[in-house]
Formats: sequence, C-alpha cells, structure tokens
Amino acid sequence: MSERNYWQRMRRQRLSRRALLGASARAGVGAAGLALVGCGSGDDDQQQAAPAPATSAAPQQQQQQDQPAAAQQVQQQQQQEQAAAQQAQQQEQQEAAAQQEEQASAVGEAEEPAAIMGKYGGSIIEQSANVYETSDSQRTVASPVLQVLGRVQSKLVRFTNPNTGTITGDLAESWETPDGATVVLNIRPGVNWHNAGPGAAHPSAAAGRPFTEGDVHWNISRQKDKLLADGTESGDFGRSSYWGAVTTMDLSDGSIRLNLANPDATFVGGLANEFNLFNQPELTSATESTATEISPDKVIGTGPFILTRWDPGEGISAVKNPDFYGLPDAPFLDSYVWVQTFQDPNAYRIAFEQKQVDSMTDPDPSTILAIHDSLQDETYLTYQGVANTVAIFTPSNKEPWNDLRLTRAIDLATDRRQLIQQLHNGLGKVSGPVSWMQEAWAIPQEEIGDIGGYRTDKEADITEARQLWDAAGGSELGQIDWVTSELWASRAAWSATPGIIATMFNEAFGTDQFNGITKPYLEIIPSWIAKDFDPFFSWIPNIEIPDARAEMIGAFGTGGGSNYWEISDDFIDTTLASALEDLDYDSAYAKLRSVQDYVMERGQFGRSICYNYIFPAIRYNYNHPVLSSPTEGWNFLANSVQAFGQWIDPDDPSIEGRNPPPPVPL
Amino acid sequence: MQAYIIRRVAGALFVIFLVGTFIFFMMRVLPGDPASAALGLDAGSASAESIEARKAELGLDKPVIEQYGDWLWAIVQLDLGQSFAIRANSVWYEIGRSLPYSIELGILIIIFGFSIAIPVGLIAAIWQDKWPDYVFRTLAILALAAPVFWTAAIMTLGVLEWDLFTIEVIQQPHFWEDPGAAMTWYLIPMIAGGFAGTAATMRLLRSQMLEVLRQDYVRTARAKGLREGIVIVRHALRNALLPVLTVMGVTVATIIGSQVVLENMFNIPGIGNKVLSSFFNRDYPVIQGVVVLISVFVVFTNLFVDILYGFIDPRVRLA
Repeated sequence: MSERNYWQRMRRQRLSRRALLGASARAGVGAAGLALVGCGSGDDDQQQAAPAPATSAAPQQQQQQDQPAAAQQVQQQQQQEQAAAQQAQQQEQQEAAAQQEEQASAVGEAEEPAAIMGKYGGSIIEQSANVYETSDSQRTVASPVLQVLGRVQSKLVRFTNPNTGTITGDLAESWETPDGATVVLNIRPGVNWHNAGPGAAHPSAAAGRPFTEGDVHWNISRQKDKLLADGTESGDFGRSSYWGAVTTMDLSDGSIRLNLANPDATFVGGLANEFNLFNQPELTSATESTATEISPDKVIGTGPFILTRWDPGEGISAVKNPDFYGLPDAPFLDSYVWVQTFQDPNAYRIAFEQKQVDSMTDPDPSTILAIHDSLQDETYLTYQGVANTVAIFTPSNKEPWNDLRLTRAIDLATDRRQLIQQLHNGLGKVSGPVSWMQEAWAIPQEEIGDIGGYRTDKEADITEARQLWDAAGGSELGQIDWVTSELWASRAAWSATPGIIATMFNEAFGTDQFNGITKPYLEIIPSWIAKDFDPFFSWIPNIEIPDARAEMIGAFGTGGGSNYWEISDDFIDTTLASALEDLDYDSAYAKLRSVQDYVMERGQFGRSICYNYIFPAIRYNYNHPVLSSPTEGWNFLANSVQAFGQWIDPDDPSIEGRNPPPPVPL
Repeated sequence: MQAYIIRRVAGALFVIFLVGTFIFFMMRVLPGDPASAALGLDAGSASAESIEARKAELGLDKPVIEQYGDWLWAIVQLDLGQSFAIRANSVWYEIGRSLPYSIELGILIIIFGFSIAIPVGLIAAIWQDKWPDYVFRTLAILALAAPVFWTAAIMTLGVLEWDLFTIEVIQQPHFWEDPGAAMTWYLIPMIAGGFAGTAATMRLLRSQMLEVLRQDYVRTARAKGLREGIVIVRHALRNALLPVLTVMGVTVATIIGSQVVLENMFNIPGIGNKVLSSFFNRDYPVIQGVVVLISVFVVFTNLFVDILYGFIDPRVRLA
C-alpha cells in the first residue's frame, strides 16, 4: 500500500527538532564560511558536509537503531487500524442500511446521538479563514462560512455519522415518509431563536421568538424560488435545485408536509447537508442586501452557540447559547474562538506549540509529523479526507472526444496513484465514479484496484490505453491543451501540475502532443454549463451528501444538472431512477454499483474521477473532537457533529501552559 | 524657484500616476480572480451565476478601461475604495489597521540594528586585526550570509525547544498598549531584522573609521595630547558616520523588504502581511491602495530632498 510505504519512509526521513537545529546551525555557519572564504576547495566542501559532531552522533545512531522496530510497529499498527477500519466500515454500512430500513418503515424516529463521555466547559481555539464571501449560509459555497455558522445555526436533521449518512433529528424532532414522495417533518417544540448577542440586538431581529413551521416554509421557499426579499432573483442559492424537488408544502400546527415531485429516498438525508442551515426570516430579509459585508449582527440562529464576534482577518468567536434546547447535555464547550489564517507555517507552528491554538493542519505532512515527533506525549494525530474531489474531464460530447475509445484511453492512462504520490505526498485514495469518502456507496478500495483505470498493475492499463489511442487515431489529433485550474496551480506545491498531467499522457501514449495550460474557474465553470469545455484536471464541485445517488443522476442521468457530457443512456437512467426510489439499502447499492461498473467500462464517459486526498491534523490530548475512529476525523464537513460533541479535558496534563485568546462574551 | 517646484511636483504626480496605472493593469493580467479567490478550495463548487454575481458586485463585469477610469476618479477624491476580500472594510481602514504594526516593527529593527552596528563597527576599527575585530567581522559575514527568514526560524526553534518565552502570534497588543507583552512577540523579528541590517552598516563604519583614523587631523589631535576617547568620538567617528548615514537610507529600504517576510512568519498584522494576503486573495483595491500610498511617500520624500537641494545649491534648479 502506497500510504503505508509513504509513512514508513517519512518516519525514517524526518528530523527531530534538535537535529534540525543542529543541522541548520551547521548550514548557517557553512554559508557564512563560504561567504568568508569565497569559493572553497573540495576539501572545504567535504568539511561542510561532514557528519554531526560526536556530541550529537550518539542520539542519531540510537534513533537509527530504533527505526526497523518502529517501522514494524507502525506497520502492525496500521494493519490493525485497517482491519478495525474495515470492521467499522462494515458496521457503518449496516447502520446505514438500518437507517434506510427505518425510513422504509415510513415512520422515522429521531435517533439519539451516541453517548459521549465529555466534560463541560472550556473554549476551543481553531484557525479559520481570513475571507468570508457572505454571512448568508444559504448563499455560500465556501466551507469557512459553514465552519462558523454550522455552530450557530441549525438544520432540520443532522448527521451523527457524516461518512455513512446516519442522521438524527435537529429542528425536526422526528419525520415520517408515508411514501417516497412525501416527507412530514415534526418541528421540535421549545426551540427559540437566539435571545442574546449582536444578532439578537439587531433592530430587525425577532430575538427569542419560537422556531415554527412557518420558518421552515420561508427558508425552503426562499431557496427554491431563488428570490430575495425585494423580489429580485439571485443566482447564488446553492441548494435551489435540491429544494426544487419540493412541489408544495402543507403547514399544520407543529409540522410541515413536503410533497416531492418524484419519489426520492435520498431527500431526508439531504436535509442534513451542511448548506441547509436555517436563517431567521426577519433578520435575513433586513440584511441580505449587505450580506457580503460580514458582521456578527447579521446572523441569528437556533444552534448551540451564539456568534459574538465576526471580524474577518481579526477574530471570530461564538459563545454557548444559554437557551439551547439541547441543554444540559449539549454542547460541552463554553465557546469557540477562530483566529485568522496563518499565512506562514512558522506562525501556525508557534501558535500550536505554545498552545495558542488547539489543533493544527498543514499541506505538508512532514511539518505535522515533525511536531508530533517532538510533542509525542502531549499530542495525537488524525487523518481525514478532503471533500474537494479531484477529477479529469474529457469533453466526450464533442469531436474528437466523442469517440469513446479516446475517452476510455484517457481514463485508463490517468495514473491516479502516481498523482497522489507526486502531488499529495502519497496521502490520498483513488475514487471511482462515487468518491471513497461516500463510504456506504463507493466501490471498496480492495475491489477498485482490479478495475480498468484503477488497476494496481498500471502497465496493464497503459497497454490497453495505448491500443485504444492508436486505434482511434489519437496520434493524429495534433496538440492537445489540458487545462488545470489557476487556483490549483497557484499553490506552490502544485504549480508543476499542468506539466505533470501533460507528461503523464505523453508518456502513456508515447507522444508529445499533450500540453499543460491553466485557466481560471471564472472561465472553466461557464464552459461546463455551456457544455463546451476543454480537457480539464482539478477540483470539481464538492461532494454534498454521503448518499451518492442524486449526485450520480446529476452527473450521468439524461438532462442531469452536472451532466456536462450530455450523456443519455437508457440503462443508466432507468437503473439510477430505480435506485433513487429504492428504500432498501442493499438493493439500491447493487443498482448504483452496476451503474458505476457500466460507466467505468466506458471511460466514465469523460467524467474521470481520480481521487480524494487526505491531510493530517495534530491536536493536544486535552482537545476531544468527535472522531470517526481514534485516528480518523470526518471526511465530510461535520460542523454540527463537533458543535454537539467536542469537549476539552481540563484534567489532562497536556493542558498545562495553554494560552488561549478569550472569546467576546455575550 | 516657483517654476522649479511646480515642474518637480508635476513630475512627481506623473510618476505616481504611472505607478498606479502599472499596478492596476498588472493585477488584472495576473492569473486568478477575486471572485474565485474568495471561495478558495470551494471555487470549483460555485455556480457560474454566483461567480458572475460576485464579479458584478465587485465591479469586475465592466470593461477594464471603465474600471480604470472609475478607480482613477476615486483616487483623485482620495477614495481608495472598499476591500474586495473584506467587503465591510474600506482600504483606508485596512491600511490604518496595519500601518501602526509595521511602523512599530520598523522602528524597533532600526533602533536595534544601528545600536549594534555602530559600537561594533567602532570596536572592530579600534582593535583592527585583533580578536574583537575577527569576531565581529565573522559575525558580520554571518549576518550577511544568513537570510532573515533563516535567522528568525532558527531563533524560533530555539525558543520553542527550550520554552524560553511566549511568542504571541494571536493576541498582539501594540507597543503603546502593553510594552512588556509587545516586546516578547516583537523580540525575534526585531533581532532577526536588525541583525540582517547591521552587517553592511558595521562593515562600512569600520572601513570608514580605519580611513579617518589615518588622517592627518586625527594624528594632530593625538599629538595635541587629547584623550583617545575624545579623538575617536569627537574627531574620527563624526566624520566616519557621514557616509554611513547616507547608506542608512538604503538599509531602511532593505528593512522594509524584510518586514514582509517577518510579519508573515510571526503573523504580525502589518502592511507587509496585508499586501501578501491581499495578493493571494486578489484584493485589487487594497494592493493598489497600498502601492499608490507607498509611491506617494517615496516620491514626495525625494521631491522634498530635491527641493531642499534647490534651495541649498542654485545650480540644481537652474539645471
């Protein structure tokens, strides 16, 4: 397994801080010496490259002797973890199936959150963004906005396991699905809008008012119709197509009936989508024209925390809602404080090591591992996937790519594992048409390695790809410009990507036709919508919910919202439509799997999903977020999971010397 | 003289106009756009409609020439516009928030740098080819060879490793608010920045002192029986410092450059940090505003000096 090899290698290579200090000091003295003496002789160079002084040699030798045993331990531990993860995955799939069966029984009862043995009090300090596009959670696609508002506002239902899609009631205490096209939501009694903080103090806010079915109606209508309070239509309601499935709504005292255009077994799970937070009609209507000018008085919610500060680039804080319906069980924390993005890893490292923040991530895993190495007794590592799926798009709806042999050749020639190694230090897993992060619906990793385009025996893929390429006359196509998004290529670590992609195809097909270029999303996205796009590699729209069925229909179904390839195939349409209505998990999974196999045999019709990468995070032992396993965080946005379950252990020894910035109080 | 001043002011304004025009078009030629940059990793999820709406809100849907005209007209009215990244804040507010941190750090670096450079240069010259000279010259070479980020990183690692003191990177009070606390988090950037600026000044002062100490008037002063301290400080140092002061201007420019690095390394919310974050966010108004302000500062400082020359030396204004 590439990941295991990567981590073993990393452990062998990384330096302890003392070694780094010593090496740096030697390098500095060496540099000064070079400057002093000019061009040194060979002997001088040898002296500069000489090993560490005897005083530091002993610990290094000890470290080297420890390596094989340590590596073995890591390997054993990883094998155990993998086995545990597989067991957990099976268990979660069973849970998901149970959840589906629960839905099938037509009466949904709110599942109680798993009991968490937490302690109350304390404040978590995390890094967030410097830039927020809007304070309106329904008109954003930016995850930093949800990182903040996901703690402050609520959804009708929320995930208890975002990876598999297990849900529980939130604003809706329970729900019923009398048939596949009707959902009755029973509004939780005793839920009130925030009654304190800057939002509640806004003159237009209805502070402390009970949450009602009327609020649900207003929020759904607003997104479905894409209308602002002044009657103008807005194009930035990201969930309008989801809510567009609701044809009519019937309100009664304490409940609301949603009538869907077609039966949809994924609809209830979709309510837990991170973007389905509920705004207060009064305050939102009054402030929506200035929503891009961020301030805390434009936000009011029903969630466990109240926003007390929102100054992008300076600081953000949210304090426990004293009237939260979940009290006294949840939340555990007294507050969250988000600090501005550290542009330099050095600053982030200082902040973490001196306990000014409670967790840290870095695009370069070696930084995180080095810190963990020096603070092993006080910290722990977790890994989590990134929902920004990476894909290759080939425009199979137009010449010459409408020859599926070419499209299939590109899919086969795409060396996903190599890309993960080159661009992500080996941290990532290949994804089929359904991302591996949608655990309950994806093709298991142990199976996908035998499928064309994903074979672990890449030579077999390349051989087949070259045959198809030659047979379809690929070598006569002239220069082929392959687009990487500018945003992707603007990251220093990934700046070589256009060249990497071009080289990958040139080597696979034994040609020099491929040329890497970059374009901004401002050009790329409209070209997708117009179904007139260039071959592409980068992030594609985020995975929205753990249930992949609606997403697959959008991508491969005739007339699907993200079917940029104009795919129209009876087998796909009928199978996916049947899967969408299917309330039995096993049956629905089998249908979705058959479509996945079908499209993979056809080069995914040009929508070649590549992988989702993984990043490590380090936390102090006193910081207890809700994790999916002891070493894994949630792959999906899990803000509400953390809002309810994250806690701090004031008795843990690692908390000593903590230096957190205080939140702005209520 | 009046015509000379008018001519120079007009020239200065033209230079500022050119700088502003250059940065305006340069930002728009660079890859990336503010609408996508605001979304970061999520840009791929944005609908074309929402990106277009964002573009329209920022005025980026207009032809570039029209944007340029609007911006120039606003500049004439001293309106630098609103930040693209933080819509609630004006560019003036962003600059006003950042500038004090940069000024504080800049002053500390200069004070530290010159308070080290001058005595060290003096000692090295007085004890030429003795051990203090060798030690300080080696240190000066080290300071020249070591990039400021390397020095800062090594010092940081040392502080973290031995847990010497807290380098505050989040709660950063101004110097006038809490001098003690401010000093702890300004300490490493001050030393690293000052150290880098010290070497050239120290070496120049040493060579100037060596030259001056060989002058006849120094010999005469010694022959008169003046105490060595008076000879060195009153007769030699004052003359040796003149070219050093000239070089100080260049050194200050270097310090400003190193501040961009240091502010980012230590999360100091100064102008350097702001410019870099604005660049990543493609926050055109902030970058344009900061660059224009810097050009105004530099151009008018030079103008002031030129006019002063004109007063002192009539040949300058006649030329």
